[in-house]
Amino acid sequence: MRRRVRSKLMSMALTLTMAAGLLSGCGGNSVSETDKTTITIWHDKEDAVAEVLQKKLEELEPDVHVVLEKKSDLTESLKMVGSDPKAAPDMYFFAHDKIGVYAEMDILAPITDIIPEEELDVYMDNTLEAATYKGKIYQLPVYYETLLFMYNRLYMKDDEVPQTTEELYQYMQDNTAGGHYGFVEQHSTPYYAAGWINGFNGTILSADGTPGLDSKETIAALEYHKKFVDLMPGETEYATVNTLFKEGMAHSTIAGPWLVPTVRESGMDVGVAAMPVIDETGNPISPYMGVQGIHVLKNAAENKKDAVEKVLRALMDPEVEVDLAKASGCAPAMESCYEMDEITSDEVVMAMHDTAEHAVPMPNIPEMDVMWTVVGNLLTDVNMSGKDVTESAEAAQQEALQLIESMR
Amino acid sequence: MKKNKKKEILFAYSWSAPSLILILLIVIFPILYTGYISLTNMNVYHWNNYELIGLKNYKDALLVLDNGFIQAFLVTILWTIINMVLQLIIAFLLANLLNLKRLRLRNLYKTLLIFPWAMPGYVSILLWKTGMFNSQFGLLNQWLAKYNIGPVKWLGSDGMAFLCCTTVNLWLALPFMITIMDGALQSIEKSFYESAVLDGATWLQKMWYITIPMIKPIIAPSVVITTFTTFKQFDILFLLTQQVGAKTGSNLQTILTYAYEKAFITNNYGYSSAISMIIFVILIVFSVLTNMKPKEETD
Amino acid sequence: MKKRTRENIGLVFANIFLILLCFVVLVPVLYAFSVSLNADNSLLSTNFSFLPKHFTLANYKAVFTEKPIMLWLKNSLILAVVTLGISLGTGIPAAYVFSRKEFPGRKAILRTLILLYAFPSLLSMTALYKLLSPMGLINTRTGLIIVYTGTMAVFALWNMKGYFDTIPVEIEEAAMIDGTTPVQLVTRIVLPLAKPTIAVTAMMVLIYVWNEYIFAINFMTGSDTYTLAAGLYSLQATEMSGSWPIFAAASIVVSIPILIVFFALQKNMTTGLTSGGVKG
Repeated sequence: MRRRVRSKLMSMALTLTMAAGLLSGCGGNSVSETDKTTITIWHDKEDAVAEVLQKKLEELEPDVHVVLEKKSDLTESLKMVGSDPKAAPDMYFFAHDKIGVYAEMDILAPITDIIPEEELDVYMDNTLEAATYKGKIYQLPVYYETLLFMYNRLYMKDDEVPQTTEELYQYMQDNTAGGHYGFVEQHSTPYYAAGWINGFNGTILSADGTPGLDSKETIAALEYHKKFVDLMPGETEYATVNTLFKEGMAHSTIAGPWLVPTVRESGMDVGVAAMPVIDETGNPISPYMGVQGIHVLKNAAENKKDAVEKVLRALMDPEVEVDLAKASGCAPAMESCYEMDEITSDEVVMAMHDTAEHAVPMPNIPEMDVMWTVVGNLLTDVNMSGKDVTESAEAAQQEALQLIESMR
Repeated sequence: MKKNKKKEILFAYSWSAPSLILILLIVIFPILYTGYISLTNMNVYHWNNYELIGLKNYKDALLVLDNGFIQAFLVTILWTIINMVLQLIIAFLLANLLNLKRLRLRNLYKTLLIFPWAMPGYVSILLWKTGMFNSQFGLLNQWLAKYNIGPVKWLGSDGMAFLCCTTVNLWLALPFMITIMDGALQSIEKSFYESAVLDGATWLQKMWYITIPMIKPIIAPSVVITTFTTFKQFDILFLLTQQVGAKTGSNLQTILTYAYEKAFITNNYGYSSAISMIIFVILIVFSVLTNMKPKEETD
Repeated sequence: MKKRTRENIGLVFANIFLILLCFVVLVPVLYAFSVSLNADNSLLSTNFSFLPKHFTLANYKAVFTEKPIMLWLKNSLILAVVTLGISLGTGIPAAYVFSRKEFPGRKAILRTLILLYAFPSLLSMTALYKLLSPMGLINTRTGLIIVYTGTMAVFALWNMKGYFDTIPVEIEEAAMIDGTTPVQLVTRIVLPLAKPTIAVTAMMVLIYVWNEYIFAINFMTGSDTYTLAAGLYSLQATEMSGSWPIFAAASIVVSIPILIVFFALQKNMTTGLTSGGVKG
């Protein structure tokens, strides 16, 4: 009996010491009070972008030590950790569309707490607009991106580039056969389909948080878009669509600027053109615009203000934006960059600059979070399961309203 | 004698205490806490300043438990049954095959067949999705194309998606089942078979009267465990057909994917916790109804 | 003589069938393997062949040199060993008494356990986070170990209890009469008999810890605290980046330790009861 108790006590003690050891061993990972000069930044960007940022931020050593950490599930992780000082980063580099969620969670600090608002005037108006939620600017814009119309010059000559969507349709009909596609896009992915909906003057989510899925315009867009989808592959995900284009199986596509360096690397003579104009409305396909930039978490703004300011000021250097444009075709958010030869000579960046004129900034209100899923389902229903457009749109609208209602 | 009995009970409690305390703290307490969260308005708008709001979340949640939910529930049950039956039959046959006398390469086969187990599950699922089922590049369609068939949209409809998910689940789960069955088969005294052979029993009779009854108690706990693992399978269906931006056109839902789409994407933790608690209650009711008590076949 | 021939033919067919089956089962793995050896950066290709057109080992080199895979391996190992230790250490005695002793609440507890196992721990993730966070256990190994041991303790107790039930009690009774203490009884008699279930349970715990990524990426927020599964997840091709061949190479590398452990445990897993000396 006694021996049993002793052995049990031993095992318990062992477990406890083990736990304690691990605890203290891992304590070093957390951001301690004294470590005010280390800034952790989460991002989810491609390596080319991360390298430029890393290089620039290394210049701040030894005053500020910046750790750039790639998080593939950045937005979900941030929702989970919130402002937990032990787990949360100090800043994060991401598109502007999650600002609303984090601002409501009260974990973001306005950029203007650190950088006076008038200094932000150098940025393009629409990027600042995208960064504003309830009257406060929560993001320091660095670059923006829109989808682009790209074509493979091997198949599509410059003078064959469709000016209107009907021309595009004609081209697709003529060239889609035997494993080749005239045009491919991620047709049932909301971010991509949004260009068509916006081009029809429809909306996914209005500024006040009302979904517009069952509006006349949105339904018309879905109806019209469908005939294009019929001439595209059954998959809507990124890998399939881009590989088709990369391998020369698809003559043209609508994709993000990040695709350009990779297809150039594989030896393709890729052309970038303006978006085709939708015959019915006279608008070009108007994709969402995403402004990529850096956000400051409240904790860091309060406790590490100096270091944060240094990082922000480093990223306000126009040189960074030019380097990013060269590295990965990122369109600078700073107005003045478009007077530099390095930028104006860049076909991709200038194409985005043009597209941005009618691009719609992604909504940054929290309600958008549920819309991605709802619109994704709606597109799948319409494009892939062949369900009735009007009925599906109405059902999706109801669903969206209900989900938005249950967010509160 | 009475004293002895008391001592026995004390002994039992003290030996099981560490495990049970662990489970109480790590498993049960969070479930209770989920229950507490479900009574609050913890969401994006009340992240740090949430408060108790009573049963409002449950009222909202019950609105979601419509036909879609019932359908998802039925699919989940069907999924569990079909997968378990197939798993048991295939594992049983394969384990028997692997135990054939004079099969020299037995260990090689076993090791190769076990490989799917070693790969992280989501890696395997992604491999299946892009490598096998993709309608443009998947191996299946590339092979079919050689015979001028296709392209088939493997994940494009509910039925096909169910089949494909079942295939992947079997691929992932069979190594465990085969290992368990194999171990169980080897524990059977060979002399039983010998005497049965003398009596002129057929293969089927041997299986039915000796093998199955003998391995049943040994594999029972693992089967119960696997049943529940299958029941709560989320990754396969979600990663194959429902990732945002990569939907395939099938609208197959299990209760977990359904709960995810209807509640978890709202970032309303009170609300999604209410859904979690309702699922928990359904599990309790279900287990009471089907009377799934632990099998006690000893003594 | 005739019977022998028939058996031989059967054996040939069995071998052919098993070889084919192994091939079919391994197709996805071979696929990953082939991609990992391919110099072209693509998982997808319209004319895939198992023999890479441009053979390279660069992806494997990249896995070991460019990614902190050794660090992730260390993290995974520590988590696996501690989780294994705790869940077996607490699970074995508990499984033993649940199998052997009658005591009030036993059946109710067993029923509750299976119910708990049925409840997906994902559904209580928020609660777990909210509970661990104030204790400062987020982003620490301890936090993750706590999560893993919870799930695995239920599994271990249930799985091993079932196996203990199938071990005849007679030997233990005989030993009891000889005056063996309960601890001796378990360590000297029950444990050797229960080797297969312990091996299988250990394997399952190990695989769980090795492959679990959802809690790992949510509870471990720094890349230096990542486990292999979480690290691999972060390597995964996302919208704009990610290299499939490196991902494929990493998947193969990650699978190898599990296979080695499996080799080591294989004998124990299939050592049946009979060889333990119990005659039915």
